[in-house]
Amino acid sequence: MTDAGAELLELFDRALPQVYGYLLTRCGVVGVAEDLTAETFLAAADAVARDDPPEVNIPWVVGVARHKLVDHWRRRSREERLLETLQSEQAVPEDPWDAQLDGLRARQTLARLGPHHRMALTLRYVDDLPVADVAASLDRTLHATEALLVRARAAFRHVYLESCDG
Amino acid sequence: MANPFDILRRPILPIAPDPIFAQRLRARLERLMKGTTMDTDLAADATIAARHGDVDYVSLWVPDATKAADFFSAVLGWSFEPGSDRRQVEGLSIRHGFWGGQEHNTLFLCFAVSDVNAAAARVEAAGGTASPPDEQPYGLLSDCVDDQGMRFALHQSLGVVGRSAGPANGARHGDISYLTLEVQDSGRFRRFFGDVLGWRFQPGRVEDGWGVEDVVPMTGLQGGHDRATCVPMYRVDDIIAAVARVRAAGGTATDPSSESYGLMSECQDDQGTRFYLGQH
Repeated sequence: MTDAGAELLELFDRALPQVYGYLLTRCGVVGVAEDLTAETFLAAADAVARDDPPEVNIPWVVGVARHKLVDHWRRRSREERLLETLQSEQAVPEDPWDAQLDGLRARQTLARLGPHHRMALTLRYVDDLPVADVAASLDRTLHATEALLVRARAAFRHVYLESCDG
Repeated sequence: MANPFDILRRPILPIAPDPIFAQRLRARLERLMKGTTMDTDLAADATIAARHGDVDYVSLWVPDATKAADFFSAVLGWSFEPGSDRRQVEGLSIRHGFWGGQEHNTLFLCFAVSDVNAAAARVEAAGGTASPPDEQPYGLLSDCVDDQGMRFALHQSLGVVGRSAGPANGARHGDISYLTLEVQDSGRFRRFFGDVLGWRFQPGRVEDGWGVEDVVPMTGLQGGHDRATCVPMYRVDDIIAAVARVRAAGGTATDPSSESYGLMSECQDDQGTRFYLGQH
């Protein structure tokens, strides 16, 4: 067993609830969270087996989990691409939005968005990553990411306000 | 003005997952780190894991396993996993082994299931027998016999169950591209495996012939045989060269014929093991 491999095993008991907690709160479904958690640790095991292994710590493993989450939503968004296109035809109200949101309703709204928009807003606001880091996670340019965030915020606003009526 | 979206922020707080899930994942990770012979498969599990009902392991059952390993590695260019004593082929889309001391030459099949205890119970209820699931490095395994005497196994892997199908006709030279199940009573077989694995069948073109729907690898079934035999088709890049290698290695092969799916040769190894070659 490599040194990095031994470190990963030692870290496992502490890292598992962090990774699972991160994934469950972002995706909301136990089965998906379990699948992605397993994928995360297998990918971590793969990474530590290489010649130049990364530093093994909890933030790094959570970073791997975030990648798996992005991959998951990418797969989902490919499946829902047509719906995406239809949603984006709506008029885009301008930023800024001067409002104070209800926490529970805001989280419910996020869960109802298309995976593309949910992914972008989760990284930017739930994970509180700077836009440049969101762009890196999504493997897109800064410009494309900012444009995606504008559309995602507009979609969020639309769904949030819709849920307030009636 | 505060950004309204800031309300979404959630720090990373730990949540304990289901303890059985946690235990299995830890065990799997340990085995990976300690480097057992199955670790390439465990790593592959996460990416193209077999779905429930797919075949996830096969073994050529023959009188002399060493002789068969020599024959098939010569014909198909197989190499073997280090430390497996030339019993486990490496690099194929579905893990492939050899098992000697058998008087009936056939391809033994192991099916992936999401819950091996439930599946074993279904085997018993359908008139077969299933051994109590046994913990192996690669998961839980139950050795079974169907209600007509065909042996097979059920396998529940640790952690991730496959979500998307692997390649139905193999991906590369040397992979299995098709399985032909020759059985006695096809109606009984269909009922049994319909119950146990959820397999669905559609009528084929030949007499008492059936295709299994949506299974990896692609599988066909034919009734009316004396005893159950599974005959694999191995895909090859160049069937003419492969046929020559079969004959040079002491086996027999028909001249390649043209089928709807490509070129095919019906073969036997030097111990009478039947197989097909397919160039797709």
